[in-house]
Amino acid sequence: MTESVPPHLDVIQRWLQSVIVHPGGVEAGIESSPAQDEVALTAGRIEEMICRSNSQTSIERLEVYSNAYQARLLEVLIGEYPALVHALGEEVFVGLAGGYLKEHPPRSYTLADLGRSFPEYLAGSRPVNQNEDGSPDWADFLIDLARLERIYSEVFDGPGIEGQSTLQPDDVRGLSPEQWLTARLIPAPCVRLATFCFPVHDYATAIRHQQEPEVPTARPTRLAITRRDYILRRVELGEHEFIVVSALLEGQGIGDALERAVANYPGSVDELASDLKHWFRNWSAAGYFIGLRGLPVSKES
Amino acid sequence: MPLPRLGHPNLGLGVGLRTVHFPHLLEHQPDVDWFEIISENFMDSRGRPRHVLEQLAERYRIVMHGVSMSIGSTDPLNRDYLRKLKDLADAVHAEWVSDHICWTGVAGRNTHDLLPMPYNEQSLRHVVERVRIVQDLLERPLVLENPSSYVTFAASTMPEWEFVARLAEDADCGLLLDVNNVYVSSINHDFDPVEYLDAIPAERVVQFHLAGHTNLGTHLIDTHDGHVIDPVWELYRHAHQRTGGAATLLEWDAKIPPFPVVHAEVLKARDYMSAALAPSTSLRNDLQLEEATLDHHSSHATVPHPASAIFAEVE
Repeated sequence: MTESVPPHLDVIQRWLQSVIVHPGGVEAGIESSPAQDEVALTAGRIEEMICRSNSQTSIERLEVYSNAYQARLLEVLIGEYPALVHALGEEVFVGLAGGYLKEHPPRSYTLADLGRSFPEYLAGSRPVNQNEDGSPDWADFLIDLARLERIYSEVFDGPGIEGQSTLQPDDVRGLSPEQWLTARLIPAPCVRLATFCFPVHDYATAIRHQQEPEVPTARPTRLAITRRDYILRRVELGEHEFIVVSALLEGQGIGDALERAVANYPGSVDELASDLKHWFRNWSAAGYFIGLRGLPVSKES
Repeated sequence: MPLPRLGHPNLGLGVGLRTVHFPHLLEHQPDVDWFEIISENFMDSRGRPRHVLEQLAERYRIVMHGVSMSIGSTDPLNRDYLRKLKDLADAVHAEWVSDHICWTGVAGRNTHDLLPMPYNEQSLRHVVERVRIVQDLLERPLVLENPSSYVTFAASTMPEWEFVARLAEDADCGLLLDVNNVYVSSINHDFDPVEYLDAIPAERVVQFHLAGHTNLGTHLIDTHDGHVIDPVWELYRHAHQRTGGAATLLEWDAKIPPFPVVHAEVLKARDYMSAALAPSTSLRNDLQLEEATLDHHSSHATVPHPASAIFAEVE
């Protein structure tokens, strides 16, 4: 009788991983195609791969890893999406998150990437809107919440402007008419604009303050999310301010952005000028922009 | 013959840096010998976590401890990850860089678990070769930790302690001896933890880890969620005697109490640095007693090696 040759390390690793990540548990994992492709083994012969201990069977021992895989990753998603968890209830959240993890298994070395595609997953798997008038429904609210909480994660630990100078009103006020046409504002890397169907920012903040908010009524909501002094800040913007600041963040010249504002603004030119002054002051204070580019070279230089 | 601790200093008694303690540390600047960070939580950070780390690194000595190097995986080494690891080590003047003797995933996946190796010649050759590559890339010796584990493989041909010892010698790397992991695995795999400790090349032990675990009756789970139990302290005493002492760190990753509680826990290590108090003959008796009293005294979720992730704080 010949002694059996143990599988190579790569085979053992692919087999074990297939077994412990299977959402149906260890025995289903052993029988699954990915595991069988590596090691054609039934649960009854598991001791050919995994030894039993004095206190546990081989299957029970594998279940430690199987249970931990799901629990650890769910714990991370629950930590990243607290408002969504509150809205859905933990049981429903875990169900959705389980589906997400099956479709988007973790591949990054950092858990910060784990929830990156969760909002898109929710949007792609949402039920059809049942509202006859097509108005935003419960699913829209949940997707909005997920999008906002993911933006929070990215802005919180992404690049920022701490220690840098930001654009001040005087930097713009001194521009010549020629410079107005070509100048562009350099956006701070931490500024994100997003539109939502619901005022989810108030809901998310209430959850973080351990409150019990009601689900808000749908209304178009435009947010600027940024970071100053390592603290996340979010501000709701009016429709026209949002149009202008969006154009500037997209890299349009100041002149083009103002033209867009004029085209959409319902008030007089004087009112727009007054609003613009107010908006620029707010953007400066919030640090949305860090400088100017595209200025024509001065003839004197 | 390598120098004790491979020439690294004995940093004293340190604590694992966790974000819940940031406000306390910044306000009180407690008298702590050193901090260990989870490398992956800071290597890409450009926000508050990294900012706080840089502030602390000006005052305290920092050691980097990773969970995703996957040194035992048969997937290719992640060079981008290693480059970022080195950049962070340079930036915070890390005393050394450690990770685990394990693999975290294969076929491009990261399970974010510390999965055990089959302990045989093939695995040993594989890991030794990869440690050498990593040490070249990092331009410093790697320090590797024995993981706690919950399965053993039929393909293993040697005990874990032999694998760890030969790996350290063949790859010329350091060891992070997690005393709690030795204890947890000794219960789970029915071996003598003292035999394990006695097989480890003492001069290669650069650092110790201590932590609490959860007793589930049939097995122990390395949950990092409580106080260090007496049998683990006794193993620490034994390991301390054998090595002559090394930087010692307490990990507390779940149900984390206020910082003074965590700090006080690691300071207990001073009580176990005296050889006279516990003759080695009593150590085995203590361990046998603990083993005989295993029971179900845990009712909370038991996740081995709990995830250490950082979440956004909103104004």
